[in-house]
Amino acid sequence: MSTLHLTPVDYFILILYFAFVLGIGWRLRKTVTSSGAFLTAGHNVPVWITSLAFLAANLGAQEVVGMAASGAKYGIMTSHFYWIGAVPAMLFVGVFMMPFYYGSKARSVPEYLKMRFDEKTRGLNAITFAVMTLFSSGISMYALGKMFQLVLGWSFDASVLLSAVIVLAYTYLGGLTSAIYNEVLQFFLIVIGFSPLAILSVQRAGGWSGIQQRLPDVMTHAWRYIGNSSQNPMGVEAFGLVGGLGFVLSFGYWCTDFLVIQRAMAANSMSAARRTPVLAAFPKMIMPFVVILPGIAALALTKMGSGYSLPPKGAGYDYDQALTTLMAQFYPSGLLGVGLTALMASFMSGMAGNVTAFNTVFTYDIYQGYLRPRESDRHYLTVGRITTVVGIALSIATAYLAAQFNDIMDFLQLVFGFVNAPLFATFLLGMFWKRATGHGAFWGLLSGTGAAALTFCLSVAEGKGGSLAVLHNFPSQMAQNFWIAIFAFSACLLVSIAISLGTAPKSDTQLEGLVYGLTKMPHEEGVPWYLRPAPLALVVLGCLCFLNVIFL
Amino acid sequence: MLDLRIPSGLFFFIAGLVLVIVGVTQFPHAPMTEANVDLYTGLVMVGFGAILLLLAKRGRPA
Repeated sequence: MSTLHLTPVDYFILILYFAFVLGIGWRLRKTVTSSGAFLTAGHNVPVWITSLAFLAANLGAQEVVGMAASGAKYGIMTSHFYWIGAVPAMLFVGVFMMPFYYGSKARSVPEYLKMRFDEKTRGLNAITFAVMTLFSSGISMYALGKMFQLVLGWSFDASVLLSAVIVLAYTYLGGLTSAIYNEVLQFFLIVIGFSPLAILSVQRAGGWSGIQQRLPDVMTHAWRYIGNSSQNPMGVEAFGLVGGLGFVLSFGYWCTDFLVIQRAMAANSMSAARRTPVLAAFPKMIMPFVVILPGIAALALTKMGSGYSLPPKGAGYDYDQALTTLMAQFYPSGLLGVGLTALMASFMSGMAGNVTAFNTVFTYDIYQGYLRPRESDRHYLTVGRITTVVGIALSIATAYLAAQFNDIMDFLQLVFGFVNAPLFATFLLGMFWKRATGHGAFWGLLSGTGAAALTFCLSVAEGKGGSLAVLHNFPSQMAQNFWIAIFAFSACLLVSIAISLGTAPKSDTQLEGLVYGLTKMPHEEGVPWYLRPAPLALVVLGCLCFLNVIFL
Repeated sequence: MLDLRIPSGLFFFIAGLVLVIVGVTQFPHAPMTEANVDLYTGLVMVGFGAILLLLAKRGRPA
């Protein structure tokens, strides 16, 4: 009953990939001489590698599969998740925020919060982040197991255990360096493995003009129908999209999430750290063509009676299967192995990203911070290694929890959303307003999370929320999420400012290197433009405008 | 430190070569395309792998 049938050559490519991934971990094992080398890659990684890893750590399989699904469901509007919902934030973190992250010499984002604010703000961030990474790693594993069961007929247990053991092996051996190196290999594989699908499926659907003819206008225009939420399938309007997704959610993720920031902080110089997210924005901008186009083509192929059809589900289609059913139609054995390996690779890079961020935050911010502060570096290296094993074991447990109790996972993801929504306000104030205080930051975060929960309980979208009262009815859950984020951000910002003004700030000397105005900005005279973050960011912005105009 | 271009280049070179051989000798078909996609993708992968290996050999600091 499975969708894809593998032949020996497909297995050969999958096994070859496993061998290389493990080989890279094995070769890098000797570089791990200290906890810093294991957990932060010793600030020693070339910039082209950190940039691609910055991108790949976020490019999990839920993303690849989910973006193809959204492409089929919402059309080219899905690319807003990249063009509006990622690129501007990536440029901002590189140009404006990295000087403080990298310059502070903090080993993690929570540690930066401790230096800038206080212990309780760090504790709040470290603990919620650690729990969240474990759950997202587990959910990613669960998704992998389910998918391989469905499309290949593999056993759920075998897929979960195999991928976990391989990720464990290479992160245990080579630490963050190994995770980052493998993420780059995984990125190449994702692009090479999925590009043929985009080319073949779009070509078969008659090219972009053929797709435009066969689908309603709203599927092939990114902006034209965004003025009113009732006109587009996402059910969002421009302010919710730009403010909620483009500003609050996107900046909250790309500028504060240690999973991605960790990659930039591993770079070998301040300049390289700043260029990491900016350079990553180039491929990020192009990714919609690789991951979203096949989904749009799948819908066009379904509509034109080409012999291909998205699998039906209820009254509509099972969009989540868009990618794998297309692969079954367009990939012969051989390339099928490459595509499947790319899928496996994206799961692994997502999982390894979470695990390496988890072990650093646990070891430095929780274990060293609160449990055993004064031990030798050797001790923390051992703890880091044990944490890697425990983290993966807990992720596996989470995967099985997700398999048993789907509702719990939905609930947890909702709560994580509430916790994350206000974060960017705290970092914005922390980095650019020296008057912001620890009390302000801590209570601001809690109020932001509270405001998010309250917005959810007072509004309804697709039958979700409104447990206290229904003051507003959103046309879609996506719109509800965007507005929850906007309210959480605003509440956090206002409460932080109010409490900061009533509490004593840190002195200027304590804040040196942590806040704008008290930090020496890097000198760039005589450095060619293509090695400087700001001019590079302008080039990205130019390309971004161009893309949005084409698909207006 | 390991030069990442070497293992990445080798991986794509070998996997690409396998695809080229399969494409030429067996020409497996997918249901919805007539093209020899194994051959073409294989050639791209071999080319990409070779470029990475050449860059690593020239030893240009990345």
